[in-house]
Amino acid sequence: MRNLINFLIQYSVVILFLVLEVISFTLIVNNQDYQKSVFLSSSNSVISGMYEMSNSVVEFFKLRDANENLSEENTALKNEIISLRNQLSTLQPEKTDSLLFRIPPEMEYEFISAKVINNSTNKLQNYITLNKGLRDGIKVDMGVIGDEGVVGIIKTVSDKFSVVIPVLNDKIKINCKFKKNNYSGPLQWTGMDYRYAELKDIARHVEFSLGDSLITSGFTNTFPEGIPVGTIENFNIKESEAYYNIKVKLAVNFRTLSHVKVINYKNYNEQRILEKAAEE
Amino acid sequence: MLTVVQNILSFIILVLVQVLALNNIQFLGFINPYIYILFILSLPVKLPHWVTLLLAFVLGLTIDAFSNTMGMHAFATVLAAFSRNGIIKLFTSIEEGSNPVPSFYTFGVGAYIKYVVFMVLLHHTTLFLLEAFSFANIWLIIFKIILSSFVTILLILGIRSFNRK
Repeated sequence: MRNLINFLIQYSVVILFLVLEVISFTLIVNNQDYQKSVFLSSSNSVISGMYEMSNSVVEFFKLRDANENLSEENTALKNEIISLRNQLSTLQPEKTDSLLFRIPPEMEYEFISAKVINNSTNKLQNYITLNKGLRDGIKVDMGVIGDEGVVGIIKTVSDKFSVVIPVLNDKIKINCKFKKNNYSGPLQWTGMDYRYAELKDIARHVEFSLGDSLITSGFTNTFPEGIPVGTIENFNIKESEAYYNIKVKLAVNFRTLSHVKVINYKNYNEQRILEKAAEE
Repeated sequence: MLTVVQNILSFIILVLVQVLALNNIQFLGFINPYIYILFILSLPVKLPHWVTLLLAFVLGLTIDAFSNTMGMHAFATVLAAFSRNGIIKLFTSIEEGSNPVPSFYTFGVGAYIKYVVFMVLLHHTTLFLLEAFSFANIWLIIFKIILSSFVTILLILGIRSFNRK
C-alpha cells in the first residue's frame, strides 16, 4: 500500500499528463457527438456573441461588395418574376380539391437568409457559423447556398446559431452533375486551395470540355436540382485508369462569403421516411 | 502576484489575437500560425509541473472551443507543456535556486531559439497530424507543418525580441 502511494506521488505528473491527454483524445474521437459539439463549439452563445462582434467590424469593409451582389441578384430575380408571371398568365390554373392537401412542387422550397459570422478556409476541415438557428426554422441537414452557388450543409444547430460544413471540408461530398449531359459524381475538396475541388467517378467515355458548368444533381434531399457548383478548370486521365481526374473551380468565393441562404425543403421528412421504408 | 496578473493578461491577449486575428490569416492559402503556444513557452521555469499541464489543457480547450476542433489543441498543447522541462534541460543549465522566465536574456540567444523551434515543431506536428487524422495526404501535411511552424517561430521570436529585460 505504501509502495503504491509512493508510486502515485512520484509519478503524479506523468499520470496527470496521461489523464489530460486521454480526455483530449476522447474529445477528438467523440467529435461527431451532437450534444458535445454544441456545448463546446462556436454554436456556444458566448463565443458566437464574440464572433458576431468581431464580424460587425469586418463586415463593414465588405458592405460594398455585398451591396453590388444584392442589387445584381435583385434584378435577376425581378426578371425571373416577370417571365414567370407571363408563363403563369398563359397557363390555366387547375382547381381540384386534392391540390389543397399537398404542397405544390413549385413551393416545395423556402429560403431562410442568414449572415456568416465565423468562417475559415485554411484548414483541412473548415466550418462556417451562421447567425440563425432553431428559432428561425433551421434544422440539421438543410442545404446552404450563397448568391453564386452551393456553400454546404447544416451540421449542428443551437437556438440562435448554426454551424455549416462547407464544401471546403474533406468530410463531405456533394453530388453534382454536368449541366449539359446529366452525368453525375461526388465533389470533394482536396485540402489545398479554397478555390478548387475535385470531381470523382466520371467515367472515361463521358464527353465534356473545359469551362463546362456543374450543377447539383437533386438526388439528395438537401439541394434541389440545378444550383451551380462550379466549372471545369482542368482535367486529365491516365492510360490505365477508368475515371477522370477533374479539377473544378468552385462557384462560391469562400473567402468573401458574408450572406447565405438556407434551403428549407418542406417535403424532406416525408421523402426520407419513404426512402427508409423502402430500404428495410 | 505581479507575475500572476501578467500571465492572466497574456493568456487573454494571446487567445484573442489567435482567435480573432491569426485564425483568419490565410497567408499563401493554407498557413495558419498558432502563437498562443507562446503562453506555455513563457511560464517560469520552476513552475510546478502539474500547474503547467493544467494551464496548457485550459488554454488548448479555449482555443478548441473557438475553432470547432474539439480536443486537438488541448492534446497538442498538453504534450508540448509536458515536454517543456525536458527540452529546457537539454539546451540550458539553470542555476540552483533561480527561477527565470524563458527569454533571449535568461537562456542566451542560441539556446532560446533552439527551445522555441523544438517546442513549436512538436506542437505543430502533433496538431496537424491530429487534424488530418490519417497519413493519406502526408506530403501536404508535412508542407503545412513546416510552413506554419516557420511563421509561428518568426512571430514568437519577433514578439520576444521586443520584450526588454
